[in-house]
Amino acid sequence: MSEPAPQDKAPVMIGIGEYNVGSGPMMTIGLGSCIGLTVYDRDLHIGAMVHIMLPESSGRMDRPGKYADTAVPLLISKLAERGSQRTSLVVKMAGGACMFEYFGNNLNIGERNAERIRAILAEHHLRLSAEEVGGKAGRTVAFYPDAGGKVTVRSADGAAHEI
Amino acid sequence: MKLSAVQVDAMQELGNIGAAHAATTLSQMLSSTVEMSVPKIKVVDVAQLADYIGDEPAALVVFELQGEIPHGGYIIVYISRKSAVRLTNTMLGLTDPDRPLNEMDESALLEVGNIMASAFLDATAELLGFIMLPSPPALTIDMAHAAMQSLIAQMQEEIDEVMLFSTELVCEEHRIDSDIIMMPEASMLKTFVERLENLMNPS
Repeated sequence: MSEPAPQDKAPVMIGIGEYNVGSGPMMTIGLGSCIGLTVYDRDLHIGAMVHIMLPESSGRMDRPGKYADTAVPLLISKLAERGSQRTSLVVKMAGGACMFEYFGNNLNIGERNAERIRAILAEHHLRLSAEEVGGKAGRTVAFYPDAGGKVTVRSADGAAHEI
Repeated sequence: MKLSAVQVDAMQELGNIGAAHAATTLSQMLSSTVEMSVPKIKVVDVAQLADYIGDEPAALVVFELQGEIPHGGYIIVYISRKSAVRLTNTMLGLTDPDRPLNEMDESALLEVGNIMASAFLDATAELLGFIMLPSPPALTIDMAHAAMQSLIAQMQEEIDEVMLFSTELVCEEHRIDSDIIMMPEASMLKTFVERLENLMNPS
């Protein structure tokens, strides 16, 4: 994964099911029902971000970043490897929209992703300090560990705003 | 599922026939010439989806493939937002290319998508000899990647790769660029390939 980078570096693009750890900017684009989860260490000024697609891994281990139940412990352990203390972590998430109600039958995956993330965070004694989830619109999320862990969210025709 | 060279050719031909019918309907609706590209087959790892489809705003008219296979995947009519305005302007007799899209545009886009997807499915289903019906259409005008990602997340079979069959339809006179994209579930793709092989090698 990426090493600490200067602030003007282009953000690391995190695809579906991928994650990144470091101090440089990172980004998940075009989140629909997916969720961009960020964990920032306010003492070490590093962070980790993951692009989660589904709530449950159901035992699959090959892409831990893809599922809420495996992605949360993944980020925590990757930051712990770099010396992070649990009490220093600031957690935020955005995404989890429901863009196609008609096909939804009974599965609102975005909402289930968000619920699963909250539950797994609680198991790890962490809580969200900010979230922007649900609704019908897509989101692009950027994370700047080297700028105080700033997280910005942008919609298709809106300007980016901080959460 | 990996396709052999022969299977790729067969699927390309299937896409070609479907897209040609969709192009004809679009051409009639616009009273103008519509050119189509050679159908492309892309196998995309979900982690790399953003390399193919970005977060630029677009209109997507989406249908679930139904019929003999109840959840067969999706057929998507993709139009960049700029092209979408030019398309509805042409249909509605308007001229401002920078106006926001309203309810009238949404109805028009749904209708265009519906006619194109139905033509695509009628032609391919007739060739294959089995029934494929489009679900009622859903329209979103939003980040294209977000829409595609949402569809992939709710596919029946959990997957790390999707196969996209896409054909570009272009109307130069009105500067309208669109894509008709089929994203079949693995079960549907298997049925397509089996039927096509039967057609090529009748026993």
